[in-house]
Amino acid sequence: MHPRVDAIVREAREALAAARTGADLEQVRVRYLGRQGELTRLLRSLGSLPAAERPLVGAAANEAKRELEAAVDARRADTTAEERRRERAGARLDLTLPGRRPAAGSLHPLTRVHDEIVSIFAGLGFSIAEGPEIESDWFNFEALNIPPEHPARDMQDTFYLTESLLLRTHTSPVQIHYMKAERPPIRIIVPGRVYRRDADITHSPMFHQVEGLAVDRNVTMADLKGTLELFAREMFGPRSKIRFRPSFFPFTEPSAEVDVLCFLCGGDGCRVCKQSGWLEILGSGMVHPQVLRNVGYDPEEMTGWAFGMGIERVAMLKYGIDDIRLFFENDVRFLRQFA
Amino acid sequence: MKIPYGWIREFAELSLSASAAADRLINAGVEVASVAPVAADLRGVVVGEIEAVEREIGRSKHGYALFLCRVSTGRDRFAVVCGAPNTRAGLRTAFAPPGAVLPGGHQIRAAKVHGVESQGMLCSERELGIGDEHEAGILVLDRDAPLGADLVRHLGLDDQVLEIEITPNRPDCLSVVGVARELAALTGARFTPPAITLKESDEPVDALVRVRIDDPDLCHRFTARVIDGVKVGPSPAWLAQRLRAVGLRPISNVVDITNYVMWEIGHPLHAFDYHAVADATIVVRRARPDERITTLDGQDRRLEPSMLLITDPTRGVGIAGVMGGANTEVGTETRRVLLESAYFLPSSIRKTARMLGLKTDAAYRFERGADIDGLVDGSARAAQMMADVAGGTLARGMIDAYPTRHDRPVVRLRMSRVARLIGAAPPRADARRILVGLGLDVRDRGDDLEVEIPPFRRDLSMEDDLVEEVVRVWGFDRIPSTLEPTTVRLVRQPLAVRQAEIARRALVAAGVHEAITYAFSDPAHALVLREGRDKGPVELMNPLAQDASLLRQHPLEGLLGAVATNLRHRQPNVRLFEIGKTYERIDGGTREPRWVAIALAGMRHEPAWFAADTPVDVFDAKGLAEHVLDAFGVSARPAAGRLGGFEPDAHAALALDDGRIVAEFGEIADVVRERFDIDVPVFGAAVSLDVLATVTAPAPRYEALPRFPAVQRDLAFVLEDAGLTAGEIERAVRDAAGPLLRAVAVFDVFRMPDGRRSVAWRLTFQADDRTLTDEEINALRERLVRTLTGRFPITLRGQA
Repeated sequence: MHPRVDAIVREAREALAAARTGADLEQVRVRYLGRQGELTRLLRSLGSLPAAERPLVGAAANEAKRELEAAVDARRADTTAEERRRERAGARLDLTLPGRRPAAGSLHPLTRVHDEIVSIFAGLGFSIAEGPEIESDWFNFEALNIPPEHPARDMQDTFYLTESLLLRTHTSPVQIHYMKAERPPIRIIVPGRVYRRDADITHSPMFHQVEGLAVDRNVTMADLKGTLELFAREMFGPRSKIRFRPSFFPFTEPSAEVDVLCFLCGGDGCRVCKQSGWLEILGSGMVHPQVLRNVGYDPEEMTGWAFGMGIERVAMLKYGIDDIRLFFENDVRFLRQFA
Repeated sequence: MKIPYGWIREFAELSLSASAAADRLINAGVEVASVAPVAADLRGVVVGEIEAVEREIGRSKHGYALFLCRVSTGRDRFAVVCGAPNTRAGLRTAFAPPGAVLPGGHQIRAAKVHGVESQGMLCSERELGIGDEHEAGILVLDRDAPLGADLVRHLGLDDQVLEIEITPNRPDCLSVVGVARELAALTGARFTPPAITLKESDEPVDALVRVRIDDPDLCHRFTARVIDGVKVGPSPAWLAQRLRAVGLRPISNVVDITNYVMWEIGHPLHAFDYHAVADATIVVRRARPDERITTLDGQDRRLEPSMLLITDPTRGVGIAGVMGGANTEVGTETRRVLLESAYFLPSSIRKTARMLGLKTDAAYRFERGADIDGLVDGSARAAQMMADVAGGTLARGMIDAYPTRHDRPVVRLRMSRVARLIGAAPPRADARRILVGLGLDVRDRGDDLEVEIPPFRRDLSMEDDLVEEVVRVWGFDRIPSTLEPTTVRLVRQPLAVRQAEIARRALVAAGVHEAITYAFSDPAHALVLREGRDKGPVELMNPLAQDASLLRQHPLEGLLGAVATNLRHRQPNVRLFEIGKTYERIDGGTREPRWVAIALAGMRHEPAWFAADTPVDVFDAKGLAEHVLDAFGVSARPAAGRLGGFEPDAHAALALDDGRIVAEFGEIADVVRERFDIDVPVFGAAVSLDVLATVTAPAPRYEALPRFPAVQRDLAFVLEDAGLTAGEIERAVRDAAGPLLRAVAVFDVFRMPDGRRSVAWRLTFQADDRTLTDEEINALRERLVRTLTGRFPITLRGQA
């Protein structure tokens, strides 16, 4: 090393160590490495040195320049970090202020319950099927073994568009469409809007149902029970139990009303289950032989089970909603609770 | 239907409690809504006799006279003040001495009334909690009621009442005997039907009455008995109490007996005043056009020719199966009773009752199906009771008009079918026992059973019905739980379902709330939302309300209602979407187009320290529509809007390359807002899921990431023509810029003080094979500016 170069490097290193800010650093850089900087000048003045010294000094100065440039870069990273630290301290950030949260939307509670139900059955190998809301009398009633004089077919209970067109009163007509179009084995889950001429705090003229259907050569009521038990445990918790009660529906035989152990009181009895310990959640049964015949199946060859439940009913129980009209009022304060 | 448990136990030897019996019924499919005591909290009330009504002591605060009565309980005497209108010496009644407790825990104490001490209280039905009667006065007991006896025990009030709700297929359980039979079958208890022993006189009934059925399609059987010499009066206390316990009002012994037997056996009966029936002749026929009858409730009713009428040769005397006529009503003057027990076609009774708006216990049973054989028992039981209770004499025999006998169907039950359908089966012997217990005739046929179905179980007509009966009684809880073996199949979700999921995910992530609204439409709303080209609306024949008499045709109608609701609830910031349908008539049917609808009102953000209070505008609506299209991987270009309901100057559409509109957006028209009572601007968008369903977004394909840097240049133009759009200029930019242009984005739009618009674009250029030079790009930019200013009336900003 050359003593002059050494001196410059030593001086520059001290200055670098003393630099506190980016501006300090820039000053140091200009003083030693800038166009008019000391090292630059030294290099430029090489010509004035004796020829024997020139390469030595030149090499040393170039080496020193590289060294200093690296040192400046290293120091720059330090000072930037230090400066940001000082800035933050000076700014006194109030971190209790709320963050810039993106606005959250929400799924309708009926969609949430619908998705839960449907995904359980999808996991069991059920395909989703859908159908029209405007149905013919034949699909909605006749094919489902509901005779013409049945009270459900009255204008009192069903919305009619014409003598033979109506708003479907259940999702069951989709069973008929599907069975007519496909061949067993059939395993479908049918969600959808349905309509009944009824309006109070537990009845809505439009509501939602989910229907399940399995038809094959050897489908039994025991299978229905096993499937619904599995469903109940997934939907209402691993300790959930169900109870089958004989009932009556024109399109199933035998028919069963299915109760689930009240998940609010665990079966001890409470206001919601009216002290019975059980909640009525769905209707089910073995597909009536006449329904099978109506879609061209031989009831001696094929058997099937079906169930249907109201999504509103399950959502009301699950979320503790006491008025069905809230679902269709769409008050944002209500909807936000399901974000 | 209310049924006292004690009454059931007269026919079934049951050892379980009333609530255990109720549980058993529930588990077998007969709904029991409640089990409640006949008389709650009634203690210490006894049978007392008014020995004397001594004097009036003043008026009650309700204005009626109060009397001091001397009451005896056999052992003790009490001075009791009573205001009832029916107090009289010799009357035996319900007496609550001091210390007795009435319903509600109300304890009786001696108290001073108008300065006179009253030692207890004489009670009405209502005060005892056993009935509704109060105005008529205190409860009247039989003259031979044992003095001092505990009233609860005397009237059988220490019983439980089951409130039974049947499914429409089980009318046989609409009676005490039916429920007793069911319970006996369920528990194995012994069942004994009511014992009927007739004591008939020598006078043959066919000498007294003639019956003719003119319309046997509606009346399948009509029987008549005659009871002579009845004394019509109040029913004995036990009979009156039974009726009160089941919620019926005692009227008179003859009428009460018909009701009693209807409750007990299940068959509705009707008693006519024999002498009021002209020629003692009953003709069952359809009503004549405009024929009228005054029914027992005093209403004059006009009949339709579809209605079945019970008549005599001169006039109608009753609406078959629904209600009797006032002209032949049994009253205190009645001496001879003509007792009808008949079977009518259920659907005919239902129609008649509904058309007349008459809901009666009789119609309720007939329309669900009565027992065409059991009606004979009903008639005999009631006739004998009339003889016993009302002191009549029963004419010999019964008129029985039964033109076509109902057959008893015979159904074979294969035990293999039980196992096949249920997945388990009880042994054949158990199945047999169950069916016999239910009152069916069962014969063995090899491995199977052959079952003859009696008419009270008209719900059983095929093999699977019997499977249900067997398994229902055997116990649904004994069915095992299995999962059917199944071939693995691909689970398929319809496109519509996947579409809804995509749209929902995108919009929820964008801070929009999902709404679900009614599909019904208000004609007043439909009118202002109407599109130019009008499709026929789908109309309901029987809407619940006039403002919900159509099905909606505009995808935003429901959401606009929800916006209005929120504003009314003082929720000014509304961001809603709905996946829904509209409904339209097409040739030969209907269509249900599917939409994503979006509605926005109020501020873009909820108030926050970092966000400015900016109201939403039409670009929020457009942006969300575009966001949905992005989620489907679909790009669209501007087009003119077609849906109704938007302000024409703030309404446009997005179209696919083939020109089909896939989305519309805009500001909701003022006239529409007014109709919905919305007084702030609302912006909406509707994306057609049906159109989206026809588009397949290309699957993503990887492109090599650029290796050379991109260069950006800004272009800001002042638009000299108000009709010029950013879209047109941008399209020209794309066309003219050549292959190096990689992206164009509008980054600044403003209106200058002189009203002209300035729009600025940032252009990004990039080459795949080299670093672009400043010279190259500047030249490109200059060429672009020349081309554009040559084509459009625009000026490069900074040169204006």
